Amino acid sequence: MMTSPTIHAAHLGKAFGSRDVLRDLSFEVMPGDVVGVLGKNGAGKTTLLELMLGFTPPTTGEVSVFGHPSRRMPGTVKLRVGFVPQQDELLDPLSVRDQLNLVASFYPDWDGALVERLCDEWHIDPRARIRSMSMGERQKLSIVLAFGQRPQLLVLDEPVASLDPLARRQFLEQLVELSADAQRAVVFSSHIVSDIERLANRIWILKEGRLDWQGDLDSLKESIVRLHLQCAGGLPERLAIPGLLSLRRLEGGAVAVVRDWTQAAQHELERQIHGCVQAESLGLEEIFLELHR
Amino acid sequence: MFILNPQSGIPIYRQLLDQVRRMVASGQLPAGAALPSIRDLALLHAVNPMTISKAYSLLEAEGILERHRGKPMTVASQAPSRAALSTRLQQIAPLLDQAVLAARQLQITETELAKALHRQWEESNDD
Repeated sequence: MMTSPTIHAAHLGKAFGSRDVLRDLSFEVMPGDVVGVLGKNGAGKTTLLELMLGFTPPTTGEVSVFGHPSRRMPGTVKLRVGFVPQQDELLDPLSVRDQLNLVASFYPDWDGALVERLCDEWHIDPRARIRSMSMGERQKLSIVLAFGQRPQLLVLDEPVASLDPLARRQFLEQLVELSADAQRAVVFSSHIVSDIERLANRIWILKEGRLDWQGDLDSLKESIVRLHLQCAGGLPERLAIPGLLSLRRLEGGAVAVVRDWTQAAQHELERQIHGCVQAESLGLEEIFLELHR
Repeated sequence: MFILNPQSGIPIYRQLLDQVRRMVASGQLPAGAALPSIRDLALLHAVNPMTISKAYSLLEAEGILERHRGKPMTVASQAPSRAALSTRLQQIAPLLDQAVLAARQLQITETELAKALHRQWEESNDD
């Protein structure tokens, strides 16, 4: 049986006035995927998430969720999608309990037991007034509300920006629980690269409105490497290094960062410089920085 | 049981793959030993369950682990605990690479390096 994608997008683009925010994005998200979205401030992450959810119409191309165009999702499909926005949408005058009951009333699959447990573990007092809660507490409550829906697709925009390390870890553990059955999909943007590195199996790197990289985190780590070039006779003036991102010449060699690296390319380069080349693998944060040099 | 470092440049599934291979090769994980469930391991390290299941599936394909319906995976009974020499050599190739590179940087000859390795080997036997 063919699994159908949870999200499908083709040539998606968005312009605000004459400014192109996103250009020609094509991608799929499959059940079980945990997609980490990385990009500098203003790279278009929030706009991308909003397009996926149908909050704003695309200027070009199309995006669909569970086979329905995002802008025209039937109510039953919307119930399968959970969203944690950057700015929470909690109702200030309510108590936590009232807010929970309100949201629960919309969702037939509401997991009351899970919500009780999370409120307890995350120290959210059901009697507290929302207006008196801190940013971090509000963010935790927004996350609990999304988990309570048992969504088939969970989209999170910078969900942990105000959380302390302990709360972040609890959030990550809950994401592991959610994704453990490999039936649900998660898309989340974050500046905390180490969280994405733990949880995401797919990485999207947005750069100047385009998807500069999309693929497995594992392939990304295997593709982008730092090379240490050493040759006794001095480095040739002209070097042909495929996929070169940066090169720094040093005494007796150089340090280079390349993409799409292969063993064959390494042997070829060693012949070229009459020396030896050592490839060093990089963590996600360093890869992100290298792609933005 | 395993040491997984998500921030390393080595993908998590490869870290797990290498450690299970080594522990089985050394007999530290004997035939029939049960491995932690995908869910437990993923929760313990707060990493994506798919990365654990990817490593387990590759180990199953290699004949090192056996899958049982509804039960934990185990080290295969006829586990190639004595994997072919070429396979075992492949596993230490990265370490040898590093030693060779360091030797070149220090202008140590091949013969001198081989001698040093031999001495090291003898010394570790004495322990």
